[in-house]
Amino acid sequence: MTDESTVIELKNLTKVYQNGVEFRALDNANLRIEKGEFVAIVGPSGSGKSTLMHLIGLLDTPSSGTLLIDGKDVTKMSDKERSGMRNRILGFVFQYHHLLPDFTALENVMMPLLIAGKSREKAKNVAEELLEKVGLEGRMDHRPGELSGGQNQRVAIARALSCSPAIVLGDEPTGNLDTKSGDMIYELLRQLNREYNQTFIVVTHNDDLASKADKIIRLVDGKITVR
Amino acid sequence: MRYELLIALRQIRARKFQTLLSVGAIALAVMVLTVSHSLLVGVTGELYNITVDKLPQVSVSPEEGEDYIYLYGTLVERVSSIEGVTAVSPFLTGQASFKFKDNSLNSELRGVIPSQENEISSIEEDMVEGSFQEIEFSRNTVVIGSKLAEKLEVNLGDSVDVSFPNANPLSLRVVGIFHTGSPLDEVLTYTSLDTAQQFYDASNVVNGVSVHLRDFNRDREVANEIKKLGYNAKSWTETDPAILRTIAIESTSNAVIYGLIVVIASFGVVSTLNLSVISATGQIGMLRAMGAQVSGIQRIFILQSGIIGLLGALFGTFAGVLIALAIGQYEIPADQSDLYGSISFIPIAVRLHDILFIIFAVFLLNLITGIYPARQAAKLDPVKAISSK
Ligand SMILES: Nc1ncnc2c1ncn2[C@@H]1O[C@H](COP(=O)(O)OP(=O)(O)OP(=O)(O)O)[C@@H](O)[C@H]1O
Ligand SMILES: [Mg+2]
Repeated sequence: MTDESTVIELKNLTKVYQNGVEFRALDNANLRIEKGEFVAIVGPSGSGKSTLMHLIGLLDTPSSGTLLIDGKDVTKMSDKERSGMRNRILGFVFQYHHLLPDFTALENVMMPLLIAGKSREKAKNVAEELLEKVGLEGRMDHRPGELSGGQNQRVAIARALSCSPAIVLGDEPTGNLDTKSGDMIYELLRQLNREYNQTFIVVTHNDDLASKADKIIRLVDGKITVR
Repeated sequence: MRYELLIALRQIRARKFQTLLSVGAIALAVMVLTVSHSLLVGVTGELYNITVDKLPQVSVSPEEGEDYIYLYGTLVERVSSIEGVTAVSPFLTGQASFKFKDNSLNSELRGVIPSQENEISSIEEDMVEGSFQEIEFSRNTVVIGSKLAEKLEVNLGDSVDVSFPNANPLSLRVVGIFHTGSPLDEVLTYTSLDTAQQFYDASNVVNGVSVHLRDFNRDREVANEIKKLGYNAKSWTETDPAILRTIAIESTSNAVIYGLIVVIASFGVVSTLNLSVISATGQIGMLRAMGAQVSGIQRIFILQSGIIGLLGALFGTFAGVLIALAIGQYEIPADQSDLYGSISFIPIAVRLHDILFIIFAVFLLNLITGIYPARQAAKLDPVKAISSK
């Protein structure tokens, strides 16, 4: 069934929260995402968008169902294996950039490569190239406190791309930005997606932006309604 | 450099004020520990020297089943020629009953050759009245301790009656009084070897020989050599192991107290790091998303605690050694020096292996206390951590 070009496949993926009452945050989700696709996830607040992202990002474990990444079942992996996969094939951009405040932009972008055990020189070269790509060539030695919200979010994007991940996940990456810088960030993501042919999955509340995606997934009450 | 160490070092540097406080607190505790330890080792060492120095470091006693050592002249000669032996003193000793007016007390009456005995016990330094050598020059004389003199109510020049079952009663003139400050002042008296032999009704024999060494740590070695000559010899570590034990116990209890102070100082680091875990929750979540394993997150915090501990230990021992050496330079004023015996400087012993041990122990301790904040950080659910502002 799974052909070469499928990177992510969800089979009846379900996440149930159980504090007193049972709550189905994600309900029997079935989905297939192809290599190089730009996917927008939309839906009202509380519909399970973040839950889905955390499951695909291997930060959370499903209650039932299977999740295949690159054809491998990742639901039964150890912390070590999951950490390794997050490092090598996943890149994250969240609503809050969570950059390390005591490190420069350059060092922050180098961090995933250092975690991967790459040398400082190698990491520095890659990080410099990516920061140029996101238009921050003049700001590499600034710390997060010395950069604007939009600039920090661009550093976070460069960081997400530093290990050349197959999949880049963005959970409302522009949620904290004004419309203008938000649009710029989306433009940047779209452009990087075309350039590197990486798979992008981005949660957004902005229908206008979503309409430019290759595929739109709409979630309502934990169920995928449009595929 | 591994990323854990990189982050640990950067966080320590970024929290300048807290780091300074934590390192300072540990350094202060370590400094106090170092100074007190150097002083303790110095004083006990000095105490040890003084105590052991006055002890017969090897004692020769009669053969199994014998009361006396006959032909002790040969023994003295042969033992004297052993390398490292500085003095040899033959003696004949036993119990005697001392009577003066209505007062009567039992004490040891030891017949010695004063010049030789003095090389062992340095009793001349402790004489408060009369002279120790006097017993050699006049027959039927005795040197007694200050406590015994007080209890018998005798003064220099008085004659005391000495008797014992199976002994020949004598009247001995007190020609000297010593004061050591120890129980010996009541239970030991000296007379000449001749007088003792007459009192105990013995021929020219002794029942013990004391040996003094240049280096009292070679006691067992010398005792063995004397045994090889065919005599019955014991080293002071065999006859007086209690001295070793007392000194050891006091140093241990002292180390425990100061060790506790260091532990308390180290807990300051724990609270600083706990706060840092809370304020860095989002970043910890992000590091997990970037692929850092739980163990990596733990290492970041254990390293921080360990590095702060190491810095505190280094600064603390450095300051402590300087202070200890400065104290060691201090000369005790001459008018007070008899308070401390013959010590003229405050005894201080800075030993490299002690300093290295303190540094290593404090480092290890802080690695261990770092486990608590490290656990807090590792316990964080990455999903919740990332969603936190
Ligand atoms: N740890 C949890 N325990 C219980 N319920 C939870 C937990 N985390 C999320 N939920 C619930 O799951 C549902 C989906 O949450 P999720 O964060 O995925 O929504 P979302 O679509 O991302 O919303 P938003 O657009 O506001 O970010 C919500 O109703 C939320 O209350
Ligand atoms: Mg959300």
